Amino acid sequence: MNFELSEEQKMIQQSVERFVQENYDLSDRIKISSENPGYSKDYWNSMAELGWLGLAFDEEDGGFGGNQIDTLVLMEQFGKGLVLEPFLANIVLAGGAIKRGASKALKESIIPKLIEGNLQLTLAYAEEQSRFDIEDVATAAREDAGNFIINGKKSMVLNAESADKVVVVTRTSGSQVDINGISLFLVDLDSEGIERDNFPTVDGLRASEISFKDVEVSAENLIGEKDKGFSILQEVVNDAILALSAEAVGAMEVLYKDTVEYTQQREQFDHPLSDFQVLQHRMVDMFMEYEQCKSLLLRATMETVQDPVSSQRTVHALKHLIGKSGIFVGESAVQTHGGMGVTEELRIGHFFKRLLVIDSQFGNSDFHLEKFTNT
Amino acid sequence: MDIDLSKEDLAFRDEVRSFFEDSKIKDGEDYFSWREGWFKKAREKGGWDVPKWPAKFGGPGWTPTQHYIWEQETAKANIPFDLPFGLGMLAPILMNYGTEEQQQRFLPDIRDRKVNWCQGYSEPGAGSDLANLKTKAVLSEDGTHYIVNGSKIWTTLAHIADWIFCLTRTDDSGIKQQGITFLLFPMKQEGIEVKPIITLGGSHTVNTVHFTDVKVPVENRIGEEGKGWTYAKGLLEHERTGLAGLSKSLVELEQLKDKARTVQRGNGNLMDDASYKSKVGELEIDLLATEFTELRSLASAAAGGEPGPESSILKLKGTEIKQRIQKLTVEASGIYASAWGDKGAGPSFAKGGTAGYLNSRYFTIYGGASEVQKDIVAKKVLGLTSSKSK
Repeated sequence: MNFELSEEQKMIQQSVERFVQENYDLSDRIKISSENPGYSKDYWNSMAELGWLGLAFDEEDGGFGGNQIDTLVLMEQFGKGLVLEPFLANIVLAGGAIKRGASKALKESIIPKLIEGNLQLTLAYAEEQSRFDIEDVATAAREDAGNFIINGKKSMVLNAESADKVVVVTRTSGSQVDINGISLFLVDLDSEGIERDNFPTVDGLRASEISFKDVEVSAENLIGEKDKGFSILQEVVNDAILALSAEAVGAMEVLYKDTVEYTQQREQFDHPLSDFQVLQHRMVDMFMEYEQCKSLLLRATMETVQDPVSSQRTVHALKHLIGKSGIFVGESAVQTHGGMGVTEELRIGHFFKRLLVIDSQFGNSDFHLEKFTNT
Repeated sequence: MDIDLSKEDLAFRDEVRSFFEDSKIKDGEDYFSWREGWFKKAREKGGWDVPKWPAKFGGPGWTPTQHYIWEQETAKANIPFDLPFGLGMLAPILMNYGTEEQQQRFLPDIRDRKVNWCQGYSEPGAGSDLANLKTKAVLSEDGTHYIVNGSKIWTTLAHIADWIFCLTRTDDSGIKQQGITFLLFPMKQEGIEVKPIITLGGSHTVNTVHFTDVKVPVENRIGEEGKGWTYAKGLLEHERTGLAGLSKSLVELEQLKDKARTVQRGNGNLMDDASYKSKVGELEIDLLATEFTELRSLASAAAGGEPGPESSILKLKGTEIKQRIQKLTVEASGIYASAWGDKGAGPSFAKGGTAGYLNSRYFTIYGGASEVQKDIVAKKVLGLTSSKSK
């Protein structure tokens, strides 16, 4: 057993940490978030130049042959600045599906451009009725003379506003909640019949509802085998859970440290707040939750690298704990900061909102507890 | 012991219900003229426009049980909005400590909802430790007015207020609670600057207010110079027990269940989901207990006694319950909890629900943070002392 990062990973960690420190204080983030496209294209290009976008792709696809641990290193640091660039949508979600299931030709036409930062992608999986059940897919893809015709509606699609293409999870056979009969397609977002309804999200990011009306896509754009897309989707969602959990751990670290610092400076009743035992204990609890989340994050990530199927139960455990502890740490930071915590002026409120959103993505804390106990 | 309301109380409840029914807003009716007419009709009922005011000042002079019934019924009915600052916070202070001249000058406009008041208490350095306030008021040499300088924070609706009731420091030679003076002055005048504070839910309700050489005539001082803390303290305690909002929470809990029932899960809905259902259940159980804690507190007040020790936990439990209702609304929103902006996505309650949850974090902070409330319970109810001077 070894918990040490490799020398290369340590170097990347330091370089991401520096990037976040230099570019992501609260006012920078608010400015980037409020202007189109909601992230910095310059930063995205820098990430490409620094090689971060290619870390988790195989060498034969043009990547650096890394794995989920490399993504963890990036995402944990991203979490300390609430980085807005669409790494999750592009690399973990769409890229994750393509690298696992696309044909050689499709990979060759997509992955190099993705790694260079010249193509924007996303994944559309959730639907209005599905809540957190990823197998609940009503959007239909009907075969028609060698092509597929897609009809339906997808919800809460990240980065869709600026994406060129989307990986769409569709139903090609079976009942609406059957894990068999799910197929994934890569579709141009400017195809005829696609409409996007874009809106901001509470954490300063953006999402869209996308409707598909008789959208035609060729069979070459099928990712994985027809009807057998679920296992790819499940692995991609697990990777997303690991990535978001790493981001959450970074965010929790900021929250507990900011809170400790604030209570040492703020005086009430002629004492720094940090003198009060009730607040000390709460901060110890925040610190404990952070450490426990980090432990389970490492455990779930290392298990997934070893075997992405048998790690499933630990991934459920992780997302449960991240959701519950993230909100606890966020609420506690706000409460301990008093009135200032409830404003947009301090960064802690923004970190709290991000943790709230993370709990609502890819299954909340209750959902994964149930999955965990049933697995 | 008897859980039933008396015949008289039941009759009162029916009277309140039929009043609300008869005075409902009609389709297409202008809201503001309806509101004005509503308060007029309520006044004709015998002071129902100022239910909490004592009979001496034109209030209805209800028993505690009648107040409880009123609160329950208002939580369910559609009645006009009302702001608490003038009616519920300043008015009792004017009644207890104001001169007759001050009462005649200010109370009628408060009652007619003509003047909006805001409360100038908290300061950047004086939150939970309110007595630490530093906004300075200096009496002019001729003794005719004060000059006020300093800053207030968390001033709710200062941007629409006509007047402010404000705690200022006139003397800092003694202990903090001494040398505080209670002043009233108009907000729309030179030397007052109001800046918005945007809260996590994205709304503008609270502000910072800066005073630069604001001139306040001495006749706008309540009571004696330097005794303002005593006047404000009674009000603060009133504010702290008045924040439980249980009747409203009971209504909101039912609304929450209705929302959850619209979220389809398999062949059923979210209220069939074991873990969601049990959280709603736990919340309801707490609410049932807290409602009776409030009733016990009312009963001892009705018997003419001081509210018992149980009343000290009402704000703590009441605010926590309100937060849990908001949290469960966010959970009901599922994947749509993060949808924001004017359009948003998902069920109609998703966007407002998340904003409501974020702003609800304030409930355990304002009007005495829960930590301070517990210190008070520990000291005053359990008789505990602290080795540190807190």
